[in-house]
Amino acid sequence: MGLNSLRQSAGCVLAVLLYLFSVSALAVDEPKPLKLTTTADHSKFKELQREFQSGPEVTKACLTCHTEAAGQIHRTKHWKWEHLNPDSGQTLGKKHILNNFCISIASNYSACTSCHIGYGWKDANFDFSVKENVDCLVCHDTTGIYKKPPGLAGNPVIKDMELPPGSGKIVKGIDITKVAQKVGKSSRDTCGACHFFGGGGDAVKHGDLDSSMAAPDRELDVHMDATGLDFTCATCHKTSSHDVAGSRYTPTAMDKGGAHIRGKEDNSNPATCVSCHGNGPHKKEERLNQHATKVACQTCHIPAFARGGVATKMNWDWSTAGERDAEGKQVVRKDDKGRVIYESRKGTFTLGENVKPEYFWFNGDVNYTLVTDKIEKSEGVIRINWLGGSPTDGKSLIWPVKVFRGSQPFDPINKTLVKPHTAGNDDTGYWKNLVWDKAVEAGMKDAGLPFSGQVDFVKTEMFWPITHMVAPKENALACVECHSKNGRLTGIQGVYIPGRDANKLIDTIGWGIALLALLGSLGHGLMLIAARRKHQGE
Amino acid sequence: MKSVKPIAAAVLLTLLGASFSASAYDADWKRGRIYYRSVCTSCHVAMPVGSINPSTKTMAEWSSYIQADKHAKGKDTVKQYVSKSYRASIKSANKAAEKFAEVPDQELLDDIKAFLIKGAKDGEAPASCS
Repeated sequence: MGLNSLRQSAGCVLAVLLYLFSVSALAVDEPKPLKLTTTADHSKFKELQREFQSGPEVTKACLTCHTEAAGQIHRTKHWKWEHLNPDSGQTLGKKHILNNFCISIASNYSACTSCHIGYGWKDANFDFSVKENVDCLVCHDTTGIYKKPPGLAGNPVIKDMELPPGSGKIVKGIDITKVAQKVGKSSRDTCGACHFFGGGGDAVKHGDLDSSMAAPDRELDVHMDATGLDFTCATCHKTSSHDVAGSRYTPTAMDKGGAHIRGKEDNSNPATCVSCHGNGPHKKEERLNQHATKVACQTCHIPAFARGGVATKMNWDWSTAGERDAEGKQVVRKDDKGRVIYESRKGTFTLGENVKPEYFWFNGDVNYTLVTDKIEKSEGVIRINWLGGSPTDGKSLIWPVKVFRGSQPFDPINKTLVKPHTAGNDDTGYWKNLVWDKAVEAGMKDAGLPFSGQVDFVKTEMFWPITHMVAPKENALACVECHSKNGRLTGIQGVYIPGRDANKLIDTIGWGIALLALLGSLGHGLMLIAARRKHQGE
Repeated sequence: MKSVKPIAAAVLLTLLGASFSASAYDADWKRGRIYYRSVCTSCHVAMPVGSINPSTKTMAEWSSYIQADKHAKGKDTVKQYVSKSYRASIKSANKAAEKFAEVPDQELLDDIKAFLIKGAKDGEAPASCS
């Protein structure tokens, strides 16, 4: 072996040693990167190691392993957008009801179903039985890049495209293969992709769910605090077979069942406060537990909603829609904070931040005024939904509620609310042409409902119980917030609230008795002192 | 002269090994989001410079910024504010610093970079500070 060969061999050995040293040194100094939130790295699965061209292609690959998942999804209200209320017999769900913000999905499917957990729901003929139409990614994306823009019937943009067509705006395609290879558990971001934007925008519908809840601090939500407890939505909304617990149509207003215990069969709603905290959560102050027999936890622990810096819509007046400027173009007006308060296509908005809720007795019953129900404008405000409850039914608690008010189109001849065709780049879409009778005719035709041809407007209300944005206990309501004249519970009937319900005569008698007792005690004491002095003098 | 080749190969292999180990980390943009908002933004809003939305810069600008590692126009470094020692110094008053106290420096920096790139003006999901 020559000298050069020796040198080369030594160099190679040195190279290997240095390599091993570098790797081992890194391994010692830094813990090995490891996914701790899942047991599977989906990028390692052969089924996902290919270029996907559509959402259904991805779902097909998912179903090769998760064989029962689509069938489970098909049974849920997230899929069907339909719910039969067993108590009222009403058929509810987004597919059927209307509301007083974006009104209805009928004839607006392609826009509204951007929040459906499926692909391709573009009209009333959508096939709910097709497994590949289930969108796994919308709930299981971890990249944060998966988006389903309105107008594409729940499909994501895979390749760059102009949206809306003719607008000149290019929406970039997403790397759906990357999304598929990085799937994981649902998160605040995935649930929030729809639920933070309910009603067509950030914080439109809910006052207690908006984009600020994606990574909130403790002040905003003590449970979801990203640097603290870091709850996801599913921490409370426990999911079984893809069915997410909790419902806006049949909520649990009063939970007498106590905290859930492992191993004990319990089919009650796991998303209530009581299911974790029990029925006597205040360890130091029994009086507060007594309050909990009449007052929902949320009433004291959510002092205000829309606290995260995102304003929620409190009022939506469709009757003012339709303005055009001197050039015939649609108008947008903003307030001094740059927030939209008027749009020609939608009307006038009233926004609110740090809003004090309104309070009502609520027993979990939610009833709806459906599009087939007769209404009278002369009745005043029409309640699109309303909450059941009373102080005497034994099932009600005092709940905080966001009351969403507005004015919306109705048919004054048929005396029904209407479902207008709003979204859409066609001649009848209100957002394009600002013509109500065309829009309502198209929408009602799509829904298979009669329309007289006339449009008027009626004031409406919707009631949304508040249950998120739970504040730290030190920020819960102080006693005086309710126990005072003109306090928060001024409108609550059927319960005696000290401080609010003070009666002058009873107060005078009470204070008089207390004063007499005090004088009696003092007199008795003085007499004792005098008697002792007398005794000592003798 | 010929003996230089194996040495060079050794150095290259070493760098490859180091880069391979480093690139094996799959950055967590959500952790980056929390740190950026809770540490970077919370300090910036108290300073004259104010908060800086990720969407105010392009992906290339954020990459250059992280690469250059110059904070406050070069007065100090970015890495300094991501380091364990910095986190230890503020963790009594900052919950994010406390929560991520033991995260390796490079991982946390990669997390922040992932959030900034994703949330950049031309990123996949332009983001704000809040």
